[in-house]
Amino acid sequence: MKGRKNSFYRVLNLHIPLIILLIFLLFPFYWTFVTSIKPERELYGSVVTYWPRQTTFKAYKDLFFDYNFLKPMGNSLLVALLTTSLTLSVASLASYSFSRFRFRGRRAFMILFLTNNMFPTVLLLIPLYAIMRNLGILYTPTALVLSYTTFTIPFSVWLLNGYLSDLPLSLEEAAMVDGANRPQAFIRIILPVLIPCLIATGVYIFMTSWNEYTFAVMFTNEESRTIPVALKNLIGQLGVQWDLLTAGGIITIIPVCVMFFFAQRRLVEGLTAGAVKG
Amino acid sequence: MRNKKAGFWPYLLIMPALLVVMAVVFIPALNAVLMSFQSYDLRRPSEIGFIGADNYIKVMRDSLFWSSLWRTLLWVLFGVGFQFVFGFCLALLLNRPFRGRGLARSVSLIPWVTPGVLIGLMWRWIYDGSYGVLNDILLKLNLIDESIPFLARVSTVFPAVVVTIIWQGIPFFALMLLAGLQGVPGELYEAADIDGANVFQKFIQITVPSLQNTIYVTTLLRIIWVANSVDVIFNMTGGGPAYASQTLSVYIFNKANALNLGYSSAMSIILTILLLLVAIPYLKNLFRNQEN
Amino acid sequence: MKKVTVFFLVIALCLMMSVGCKKKDDTSSGATNTPIDITHWYWADNPDYSAKMQQIVKDFNENNDQNIKVTAQEYPWDGGGYSETLFTAAMGGGGPDTAAWKLTSTPLFKANNLLANLDGYINDWTDKEDIEENLYNVMRNASGTDNIYVMPWNTQVLYVYYRPSMFKAVNIAVPTTYDEFLEACRKLTRDTDKNGKTDVYGFGMRGAKGGQEPWGSFIYGRGGDFTNFSTPQAIAGMQDFINLYKNGYVPPTAPTDGFNEIIANFKSGKTAMTIHHIGSSSGMVEALGEDVDAFPFPKGTSQWTSMGDTENVIFEACDNKDAAFEWVAYLATGKGQEEWCKTTGNVPVSKRVQAMPEFQNNKFMKVSIQGAPSAGIFPILDTTTEWINTIWPNTTAAALAGQKTAEQAMADLQKGLYGS
Repeated sequence: MKGRKNSFYRVLNLHIPLIILLIFLLFPFYWTFVTSIKPERELYGSVVTYWPRQTTFKAYKDLFFDYNFLKPMGNSLLVALLTTSLTLSVASLASYSFSRFRFRGRRAFMILFLTNNMFPTVLLLIPLYAIMRNLGILYTPTALVLSYTTFTIPFSVWLLNGYLSDLPLSLEEAAMVDGANRPQAFIRIILPVLIPCLIATGVYIFMTSWNEYTFAVMFTNEESRTIPVALKNLIGQLGVQWDLLTAGGIITIIPVCVMFFFAQRRLVEGLTAGAVKG
Repeated sequence: MRNKKAGFWPYLLIMPALLVVMAVVFIPALNAVLMSFQSYDLRRPSEIGFIGADNYIKVMRDSLFWSSLWRTLLWVLFGVGFQFVFGFCLALLLNRPFRGRGLARSVSLIPWVTPGVLIGLMWRWIYDGSYGVLNDILLKLNLIDESIPFLARVSTVFPAVVVTIIWQGIPFFALMLLAGLQGVPGELYEAADIDGANVFQKFIQITVPSLQNTIYVTTLLRIIWVANSVDVIFNMTGGGPAYASQTLSVYIFNKANALNLGYSSAMSIILTILLLLVAIPYLKNLFRNQEN
Repeated sequence: MKKVTVFFLVIALCLMMSVGCKKKDDTSSGATNTPIDITHWYWADNPDYSAKMQQIVKDFNENNDQNIKVTAQEYPWDGGGYSETLFTAAMGGGGPDTAAWKLTSTPLFKANNLLANLDGYINDWTDKEDIEENLYNVMRNASGTDNIYVMPWNTQVLYVYYRPSMFKAVNIAVPTTYDEFLEACRKLTRDTDKNGKTDVYGFGMRGAKGGQEPWGSFIYGRGGDFTNFSTPQAIAGMQDFINLYKNGYVPPTAPTDGFNEIIANFKSGKTAMTIHHIGSSSGMVEALGEDVDAFPFPKGTSQWTSMGDTENVIFEACDNKDAAFEWVAYLATGKGQEEWCKTTGNVPVSKRVQAMPEFQNNKFMKVSIQGAPSAGIFPILDTTTEWINTIWPNTTAAALAGQKTAEQAMADLQKGLYGS
């Protein structure tokens, strides 16, 4: 009897709100998908159809065979992975420093990092382009990685600093009392506990570089095009290629979700699993 | 072990991050500050020259600047506010064990994965006054009896774009707070259970304080990000109709695209200063929390 | 000790960067036997055009006898953002040798000395006479000088698309005057299923960016012109435009309707007329078959229709301008012109190509050519791009929403373009 009541509450305070939120979050995705398999005639029909009367997967076929969509996907993946690993490594060092040391200029440096993110990128474009050209890295993935890190690093430093400051200090202290030095304490104690936060921050960095357009259109050419530019190429003066665009969107979204599906397994109980119980 | 006498260690650790950032943006940013004091309109390169604070004075007299600024305030307030509330709810829900949790977690990231280009177009398509699905649903539910051209009306366009940015930002808070929740020691909840605390009390007395710094940092970063975000509005409405959805960052973007870089830089610097002002209370709290 | 290490690291990093700079300069000198490389930027309005452009490039590379190798890079049109991308690259010292072009960008690039003067090349060009002198004049005007910086490529003349079946249903003929046109907008607005709501609108109005082109025809219809927007005639034209919206003869979405929406509405039968150029005709025929036709925007007090344009330019920074000119000439009068115009349906600038039967027998091409005498462009000033991108759409939307009167709106438009 009690069990049934409990599961009723569970439905009320877990399943129902979750479903409502997910409907809001996922409906546009569903609609993107439906649009990608509708023939154009049906898109602009007098009735809105919630499932196409006539489905066509031509757009997907075209994207892979005629437009070689795998290439921008590969480029995006490369840029996003490089940006993520570079940013995470330098940002975790810096944020550890900010959260565990009190040093002269600490606040100033932190504010400097923060201000960096406040300034609109569009104004930096012309000089940045000139810098990339002078470095000889224009139209290579390096140019994108470098420009993305300039705004993902400050952001990640701040995020990780926030997480680190929420972690109880007692963890490292215990380790260091046991004779570990600081790097050892960081690697053995902090890093395992920090993994969920590193994943979350990593996802942020990944998304930012995966979706960025303004820099991407400037610093890439046909060879190094990333997804947002490839997608935007499908919107010309003569209108939107709805089928290709939405199909491109779906193909872009799915691999990232799959990747995150595996990553999120580590997004559990970093603290309880690691330090406290052990 | 927060020691003051760590010598060069802290500097060494922040050096790589600082180097990468400064090497790339230092000169362009300095350049932008200088441009704000010049008549710097690339359409008229022969007129480029220092004009003191003229750009700033012109900005102060620009009624579009003030209306855009006001809209930025609402944009951030409602945008970030609802993102935070819904995102926190989602994080708490996704932190509870249930079947299919992994799937729910990964699909709830979708709005964030969607490229900005597509977000703008898809929402435009959903809101469409002739073929839009939102109108169709509202009509079928008999909530309205005639399609509403959401994005074509001065009165509905801004709420419409705000809903889109809320949609886009929920996964950010959900993920960040979900990660933070993993660091909350389980025994705190066990202790509270013994004391007979209810769910709400546990949330206020344990969850929120344990996530304090994370909450501060994520909202602060999100405020900055949302205040500066251009692509959702730009792809949906371009700031129109009749400037009714133009935030300050969109105005800056439009002016920069028109290559009036001096004017645009002056507005950017004002926006940066305003954001710093917003950040001060946050920073105070943060520094106090961390340095205690 | 560690401090020293860091110091050396910084130095090393700086050195690496400066080596990077050097390396690029060394590789730029070309040997005589290697092909002459030309980088060309363009945008494509749909994937077919993109494939066509690559095909044209391939043909050119294989068939030119000067060993010129063009590499064409596609950039997103991005609602006109293409020109800004091009500008940023050119200002940053990079950018292509040649690029597809819109006349409105000419003053900006010219002011920054980015474009190559083509006068000498055109004067020595064997195909010079194949392009109307008038068109060269348009190019000269756009630069604000007596020189030509822009090579003509295609034009498109705007005209009115209409649905003959709907005209028959309300029993009206094709309008021959501006007043008849306004009257047709009213009559064609119908409630076909008698449920008290309009379901066919007389006219598909474009209120978003780009809408200034059809809008211009209304201003001239009442006798106004673009030298001064504040004349009573121009204001009357604006009032007509506003009235169409207020009276519900155009879809309520008009203030944000762009190309995509006006075409979709026309194809789906939501509107009976709309204004666009030949570029959309093949799609219309595909959707509507025989039930689509066109007429030139009719004459009122005076007559004007917008001439859309695409050109090509050569950048001042291009090292091989002779080769670059070969390429843009191939696009203007050579096989490139034929191929491109056949695919896009644009009006050729080459008289030879215009005379080809494919172009002479197309009913939409006929209407385009009929409209050509009254076709013109907006005044091209350094403010034009901003005016088109933000000032016109927002001011007009304010007028449509009733926030501004026609007179106030026209005063704002005047100020936005001419500064006073």
